[in-house]
Amino acid sequence: HHGGRATRIFHTGQPRLAPLPPLPEYGGKVHLGLIPEEFFQFLYPKTGVTGPYMLGIGLILYFLSKELYVITPETFSTISIVGLLVYVIKKYGTSIGEFIDNLNEQIIAQLEEVKKASIKQIQDEIELEKAQQAQVQKCHYLSDVQRNSIAMALEVIYQERLHKVYKEVKNHLDYHISVQNMMHRKEQEHMIIWVEKHVVQSISAQQEKEMIAKCIADLQLLEKKAQAQPVM
Amino acid sequence: MNENLFASFITPTLMGLPIIILIIAFPNILFPSPNRLINNRLVSFQQWLIQLVLKQMMTMHNLKGRTWSLMLISLIMFIGSTNLLGLLPHSFTPTTQLSMNLGMAIPLWAGAVITGFRHKTKASLAHFLPQGTPIPLIPMLVIIETISLFIQPMALAVRLTANITAGHLLMHLIGGATLVLTSISTPTAMITFIILVLLTVLEFAVALIQAYVFTLLVSLYLHDNT
Repeated sequence: HHGGRATRIFHTGQPRLAPLPPLPEYGGKVHLGLIPEEFFQFLYPKTGVTGPYMLGIGLILYFLSKELYVITPETFSTISIVGLLVYVIKKYGTSIGEFIDNLNEQIIAQLEEVKKASIKQIQDEIELEKAQQAQVQKCHYLSDVQRNSIAMALEVIYQERLHKVYKEVKNHLDYHISVQNMMHRKEQEHMIIWVEKHVVQSISAQQEKEMIAKCIADLQLLEKKAQAQPVM
Repeated sequence: MNENLFASFITPTLMGLPIIILIIAFPNILFPSPNRLINNRLVSFQQWLIQLVLKQMMTMHNLKGRTWSLMLISLIMFIGSTNLLGLLPHSFTPTTQLSMNLGMAIPLWAGAVITGFRHKTKASLAHFLPQGTPIPLIPMLVIIETISLFIQPMALAVRLTANITAGHLLMHLIGGATLVLTSISTPTAMITFIILVLLTVLEFAVALIQAYVFTLLVSLYLHDNT
């Protein structure tokens, strides 16, 4: 876009690397709104306090008397304009200054508001974060209780099932035992019946008569014994 | 006396050099540009003032009209400041010269009118005939409206020139009367001086009002044509 032309550097000084120093907030002290204080200080050693004022009055009278400054119609308009200006500035100067300061204050206050709102928001977020962390700390109680209750429930179920299993197994074993007992009883009865049957069968008629005669003789003996004892 | 009366209106030259250019460029120094977030009192005050004037003047325009904001605000600032500076003793007011006011009025007016003719040709031509005129009067009315249109820039320039010049002249004359009367009878001189003070107050007002009127009318012409 330069068209191939060589360009000279315009800025030959060193660029400023740091921000500019701040401007003074208030102007220097002035007398009569025009003449700086330094002039009065400059004349003070030689002419004292009234020196500059005498100089001013003397100059004005000199210009008037020698007609170096001619009093024209313009003089009167000067007097009226300058008088009006001085009056207005003296009367309303400070209030206008305060008004303008207020304008600046409003801008600063708005920016402060934004800054404060931002800081407050971040602080609120920090508080929220801390509260949430504290809550998370206490969360383990809840999980402990839940864990305990689940463990207990599991335990209960386990015991229940164990008991059931025990009962079932006992049932089975009782069954087998009762079956065995019954078989045993049945066999005994059967054997007893069989033995009695055969004994009864084996007893012949002769044996039977002999046994009965023996029993009677025994009984007669016993009777005699019994009759002898009660005497003692 | 005659020479003296109009002496303040001749184009100022300093040893043959036209310092009129410096005088016209001088008010620029009085409006420093803001370069910080919080500025000094002068700049803050001017910022506030310009914002007030801008809001009051440009709300009635549409988007196309608002592109003229910079021009109009510069205009009112320039005319206001030159008028107010002209009230200082022994100073020259550029706006007393008809040449300069014509130089401000004609291009602005022509710009507004030509914009209107370019973009809304039918509406601009329709402005030449107000609504509801009886038919026999139409030709005459068109001629009258044309003349009224072409007189607008002249009126703008001449109004500003005449007002400011008349004010300055009147102050000069009454000051002269006061000067002469001081040696004849002092109380009359006092009365005349009071008249001069009142006139000065009026002049301050006129300085600002003329600036406002000029700019307002230009913006009105703009509003008609966008």
